[in-house]
Amino acid sequence: MAAIHEAAPTAAAGAMPARPGLLPQLWPFAALLALALLLPLTGNEYWALIATRACIYWVLVSGLNLIVGFAGQLAIGYVSLLTVGAYTASVLAAGNLLEPLHPALALAAAAALGAVFGVVVGLPALRLRTFYFAMTTLGFATIVTQVALAWQDVTGGGIGITGPSLPAPFDTAWGFYYLCLALAALCTWITGNVARSRFGRALVTTRDAEVAAEASGIAKPRLLILVFLLAGALAGFAGGLFATLQTYITPDAFTFDLSLLFFIAVLIGGRGSILGPLLGTLLLTLLPEVAAPLAAWSTFLYAALLLVIVLAIPGGIASLIDARNRRKLPENRAVIPRPELLPALLGQQPKHAGLTLRDIVLSFGGVRAIDGLDLDLRPGEVHGLIGPNGSGKTTTLNVISGYYRPETGAMTCDGGPLPAGDAVGRAARGIARTFQTPRVVGEASVIENVMVGATIEGRTGFLEALLSLPRQRREERMLEDRARQALQAVGLGALADIRADRLQHSELRFMEIARALMLRPAFLMLDEPAAGLSTDEIKRLDQLIRGVSRQGIGVLLVEHHADLIFEICDRITVLNLGKVLAAGTPEEIRSHKEVVSAYLGG
Amino acid sequence: MLASILASGLAVGAIYALIGITYNTMFATSRVMSFTAGQLGMLGGVLGSFFALRLGLPILLALPLTLAACALVGVITEYVAVRPVLKSLDQHLYVLSTLALALMIQQVTALTWSTEPQPFPRLLGIGEGVWDEKYWLPVLACAVTIIGLEWLYRHTLVGRAFLAVAEDNFAARALGLPERNLRIASYALAGAIGALAGFAGGQLLLAFFANGPLLNFYGFVPVALGGLGNNRGAVIGGILLGLFQQAANFMVGGIFSSVAVFALFIIVLLAAPQGMFGAPAARRV
Amino acid sequence: MSRMITRRGFALGGTGLAAASGLGLAAPALAQSEPIRIGWLAALTGPSSAPAIGFNRGVVWAAETINAAGGIKGRKVEIVTRDTQGDPTKAVNATQEMISQLKVHAIWGPTNSGESLATTAIMARGKMPNIHPCVVNSLIDPKKYPNAFRIAPSNTQWDDAVRNYTTKVAKAKKVAVIGDTTGYGVTAANDSAAGFQKDGAEVVYKANIDATQPDMTPDMLRARNAGAEAIVIWSVSTGMIARMLNTRAKMGWDVPFIGHPSLSSGEVGQLIDRPENWKKVYAIGYRSCSYGADGKLPPRSEELVQKLQGKVNLQDTLFWWIACAIDAVNLVADAVKETGSTANDAIIKRWNGLQAWPGYYGDYSYSAEDHNGYPGQDVVMSDASSGRNGTFALAPGYG
Repeated sequence: MAAIHEAAPTAAAGAMPARPGLLPQLWPFAALLALALLLPLTGNEYWALIATRACIYWVLVSGLNLIVGFAGQLAIGYVSLLTVGAYTASVLAAGNLLEPLHPALALAAAAALGAVFGVVVGLPALRLRTFYFAMTTLGFATIVTQVALAWQDVTGGGIGITGPSLPAPFDTAWGFYYLCLALAALCTWITGNVARSRFGRALVTTRDAEVAAEASGIAKPRLLILVFLLAGALAGFAGGLFATLQTYITPDAFTFDLSLLFFIAVLIGGRGSILGPLLGTLLLTLLPEVAAPLAAWSTFLYAALLLVIVLAIPGGIASLIDARNRRKLPENRAVIPRPELLPALLGQQPKHAGLTLRDIVLSFGGVRAIDGLDLDLRPGEVHGLIGPNGSGKTTTLNVISGYYRPETGAMTCDGGPLPAGDAVGRAARGIARTFQTPRVVGEASVIENVMVGATIEGRTGFLEALLSLPRQRREERMLEDRARQALQAVGLGALADIRADRLQHSELRFMEIARALMLRPAFLMLDEPAAGLSTDEIKRLDQLIRGVSRQGIGVLLVEHHADLIFEICDRITVLNLGKVLAAGTPEEIRSHKEVVSAYLGG
Repeated sequence: MLASILASGLAVGAIYALIGITYNTMFATSRVMSFTAGQLGMLGGVLGSFFALRLGLPILLALPLTLAACALVGVITEYVAVRPVLKSLDQHLYVLSTLALALMIQQVTALTWSTEPQPFPRLLGIGEGVWDEKYWLPVLACAVTIIGLEWLYRHTLVGRAFLAVAEDNFAARALGLPERNLRIASYALAGAIGALAGFAGGQLLLAFFANGPLLNFYGFVPVALGGLGNNRGAVIGGILLGLFQQAANFMVGGIFSSVAVFALFIIVLLAAPQGMFGAPAARRV
Repeated sequence: MSRMITRRGFALGGTGLAAASGLGLAAPALAQSEPIRIGWLAALTGPSSAPAIGFNRGVVWAAETINAAGGIKGRKVEIVTRDTQGDPTKAVNATQEMISQLKVHAIWGPTNSGESLATTAIMARGKMPNIHPCVVNSLIDPKKYPNAFRIAPSNTQWDDAVRNYTTKVAKAKKVAVIGDTTGYGVTAANDSAAGFQKDGAEVVYKANIDATQPDMTPDMLRARNAGAEAIVIWSVSTGMIARMLNTRAKMGWDVPFIGHPSLSSGEVGQLIDRPENWKKVYAIGYRSCSYGADGKLPPRSEELVQKLQGKVNLQDTLFWWIACAIDAVNLVADAVKETGSTANDAIIKRWNGLQAWPGYYGDYSYSAEDHNGYPGQDVVMSDASSGRNGTFALAPGYG
C-alpha cells in the first residue's frame, strides 16, 4: 500500500507542510477593488449610483452573510434593520426628535440602534428553527414599516423624510461613492476576519454539526448574539447610507423585494463564503438594470434570469470559485497515524482524580435506558464499554457528555461534582468525544474542522478578531500549527486543506479524533471509532488509542469489535439492559460466565 | 358587528388555512417550502374570473378548468423550481428558485390580465348579509379539502404512499415507492388546493394579481403556527389568524392590525417553538 | 396608425419603443438632428398602476402624432420608458440612468408621490426639466427644485375641491374621513381631516382601512353611528372603494361618498353588485374632462376625443390621464420648438414663462416663483358613475 510519506519523524514538530498562501484567495477581491476604483473614469453618474447602491447593499449583506451563510439562520426580513437605520439617521439628522445631529453622528447612532434591533430581531433564533425564525424576521419587517407609517410627527408618515446629506467631500456622487466603497471594503475585511477566526469556524459548526459544536464548548447563544450585534450595526449603518443615497425615504421604499434581495444575495453566493455573496450582491444589483430597457417586462426577465442562475449553479457562486474543490486528492491514500507525534501534541496530563458515575438512572418514555449504572474512569487507562444494541452504551456516553440529564445519580470529575446536562461545559472540564456518525462541517476544510476542537482556548475577544489584531493572529497561528500536528498524528496530514466532504467515512472518524485531541483532554470518549474501518485501519487505530492513553488521558471506548476491546482495554464494563452485567480487567471479563455465554459465544 | 367580524374572519381564515395546506402538501413530499403557494391562490381567483366572466363558461366548467390549470402550474413548479435544487436542500436555494418562478407568474398576470382588481362572479347566488356565500364558500372549501385529504390519506393506496414519503423519503424510496411520481402528483394536488382557495375566496379577494404575495405571507403564518406539515394545525392556525386579524382591523384600525397580528404571532411562536401542534424536536445525538 | 392602443398592446408597444431607443443610443448623434428624448417613469406593473397605464396611452399617442407630422424641426420624439413598479428605489435608479446614461432632455413622471419624493432631489441635482402629476404639496418648491413642474392639481387643490363640495353643496357638517393604509392614504386622510376641522366641520369618524379587508361593515356602521353626513375617501384602491359602496347599499344608507378620483374609476363600476350602488358618489374631476347637461365636453376636449377615436382605447381608463400625458409630451415638444434647443435651462426658462398655455387637460401657467401650473378653478367634482369614454358629468351643484 502506498503510504503517504511525510516529513521524517524526527523533524515532525518543526517541518509542517507549507501553509496555503492567502494570495490566491485575495486576488478576486483585489481585482474587484481595482475595477471599482477605476469606475469614476467613466464619468457616468448612473454607474456611480448603481455602484454606490451595490456597496451599501454589501455593507448590509456582509453582516447578514455571517447569519445566513455561516450560522445558517434564515433571516429573511433584514429590511427591517435597514428601515430602522434609515429612519434613525434621517430623523436625527433632520432634528425631528432632538436637536439636529451632525450626519456622521446620525449614521453612528443608526449603527448603534441597528445593533440593538439586530439582537431583538435575532433573539427568536435561539429558540426557533429555520422557517419559524424566518417568519418572525418578516413579522418584524412588517411592524417596523407600519410604525414608520403611523408615527407621523417623527417619521413624516406616508410623506416621509429627507435623508441625511453628508458634508463635502462626500456630497457629490463620486465622493459618496468613494466613501461607500471604502466602507464596503472595510466590511469585506472585517467579516472576512470573523469568518477566518474561531468565531467563524464556530458559526459554521453550530450550523452543520451543532452537537459537535457543543461538545467543543461552543455556546451558541453568546456566539449568535455577538454576530447579531455586528450584523445589526452594519445593517443600521447601511440604512443611514441608503437614506442618503435615496435623498428621501418613505415607508414604501422598504419593500419585501428589497429584503429578499439581501437574503437571495447570500443564497446565490453560496454558504460559508465571503466572495460568493459579494458577487451575488453585485449580480442582484446589476441584473434589474440590465433588464430595465424591457420596461414592463423587465421584472419578468429579472426573475427568469434568477431562475436560470439557480439552475445553472445550484451550489452557489462559491462552489464555482472554491479552490479546495479542485485540489487533487492524493491517490491510493491510507490513514497512517503516527502515535510518536502525540507527546508533542498532547503533553503529559496532570494528575487527575478521574470520572465517576454512581447509580445513574435514565428512562425514555417508561423504558429504563440506564438503570443504576456505576462507572469509574481513570486517567491513563483505556476503558471499554460493551454490550448488545440498546444496552445503554451510547446513552451512557451522552449522559457523561451532558446531552442527557439522568433522573437520579451523581457524577464527579476530578473530585468535584460533574453537573448533569450542560453539554457545553464539558470541554472546559477536559472531556472530549467523537460521535457514532461523524459530525463534521462538509464545506469547511479538514484543518478548519479540527481547529474547532480547541475553540475554548481562544482568549482574544470578538473585537480583536474583527480587526485581526496581532494577538488574534498569534493565537490563530498557534491553533493552526497544533491542528496540523494533530492531523499528522492521526495520519491525515496530507489532507489538511481539502474540503471535509471529500473525505471517506473512515477518514472522517480519524478527523473527529484529531478534533477531540485538539482540546488536550483529560478524558477522550470514542463512540464506535472502528465502525466501517478496514482490518488494517483498526490496527492503526489501536496504536493511536494506546498512544493517547500513554499521555495520561483516560479513554472511554464504546465498541462492537471485541478483538479491539480486549486487545487494548485496561478495564471493561459490560452493559445489559442499562445495568452493569460485569466489570473488571479483560481477563476477568473473558472468564465471566454470563458474559461468555451471552456474548463471547464461548 | 360581531357577526360581521366572525363571518369575514372565518372566511379569510379558511383561505389562509387552504394556502397553508398548499404549502404543507408541497412540503410533505419534497421538504421544500414553495413560495408559489400564494400565487396558486391568486391564479385560482384570476383564472376563475377569466373562465367564468370573460369566457362566460358555466361555473361547473370553470371550476375544474381552474383547478386543472393550477395543477399544471404545480407540476411546472416541481419540474422547474423544485427538482433541480432538491440535492442541496440545506442551502435553502429553493427559496430563490420558487420565488423567482412566483415572480414570473405574478408579472405575466399583471401584464396580461390587469393590475387592478377584477370582479369575480357570484357562484351560487345563495345567502345575504353575514350568511352571504362569499363568507361561507371558503369555509366549505376548506372543510371539503380536509375531508378529501383525510380520505385520500386513509383509504387509498396513493394516499398511504404519500404519507410514507412524507414520513421518510429515503425509506420510502428503499421500499420501491415511485417517490418522484408521488412528488409530481403532490405538486399537482397542491396546485388544485391553492386554486380552490382562490376560487372559493374569489368574491372576497377579487381577481387581483397582487393577491399572490399577500396570500404567500398570510398562508405561511398558519403553517408556522400549526407546525410544519400538520394540516389540522394549519386549519386551526389559519382560522385563528383570520379571526384575530379581522378583530384587530376593527379594534385598532388598519395600520396597527398587522402590527398586532405579527406581535402576537411572534409571542405565540416563542412560547411554542414547534408551532402549536408541531412534533417535538427529534433527538439530536 | 390604425393600431388600437389597448392596455396590453400598450405595455408591449412601450417595450418596443424603449428597446429600440436603448439600442439606438450608443451612437452620439448630431445635436440638431438627434431625437428629442423624453424619459417616462411609469409604474406599469405594480399594484394600482392603472394611472400609469392610462398615462402611457397618451404618451405613446402623442409621440406617434408628433413624429407622424415630421417631428419638431425635423427632430423625432423618442420616449424612453422605465417600469418603476411604484418602487422608489427603482425610480431613483431609472432617474439617474435617464440623466447620466440615456441623456434624456426632459423627464415625465414618476406618477405617484412615494416615488416622486425620492426622485425630485436627484432630478434637481441633474437640473433635469421634469413634469409630474403627483399631488404631494412639498414636491413643488421653485427655490429647491427649480426644474420641477406640476401638471396636475396639488393635494391642497384636491382637498379644497372636496371640502368645498362636502360642506357647501352636500351641506354636510359631520364627515367621516377614510383612507387606506398606504403612505398616501394615511397622509391624505390626515390632511383632509385637519382641513375640515379648520373649516369648522366636525370629523366624527376617521380611519385607515387595510385595502384587503374583506368586509367594510364594521367601519361603515361606526361612521353611521357617529352621525356622519358624508364619507370622504382618500384611496386609490378600487377594490376597497367598491366594497364600501356595496356595504353602503346593503345598509340602506344614502350617505354621499366624496373624494379621490379613483371613486370614478371604471374598475369600481365592474366591482359593485348593482349599478345603483354607484349613485351619490362624487369624485374629483376636471372641467376639461367633464360634460355638462348637454352631454358635450369643452370644445378642445371634444376635438381630442375625435382624434383619439379608434386609435386609443378610452373605455377602461380615465380621459384625464390620457389628456394629461399628451400635454406633458407636448409641453416638452413646445419648449423645443419655441427655443430651438433641448438644453435644460432653455426648456425650464420657456416653461417659466408660460401663461395659460392651452393644453387638452387644462391651461397651464408657470412662473419662476410658482410651479403649480394647473388652474385651481378647473378642479371640479363629477358624478362618479357617469363615466363615458373616461369623461364624466359634472356633479350636481355645478349648474
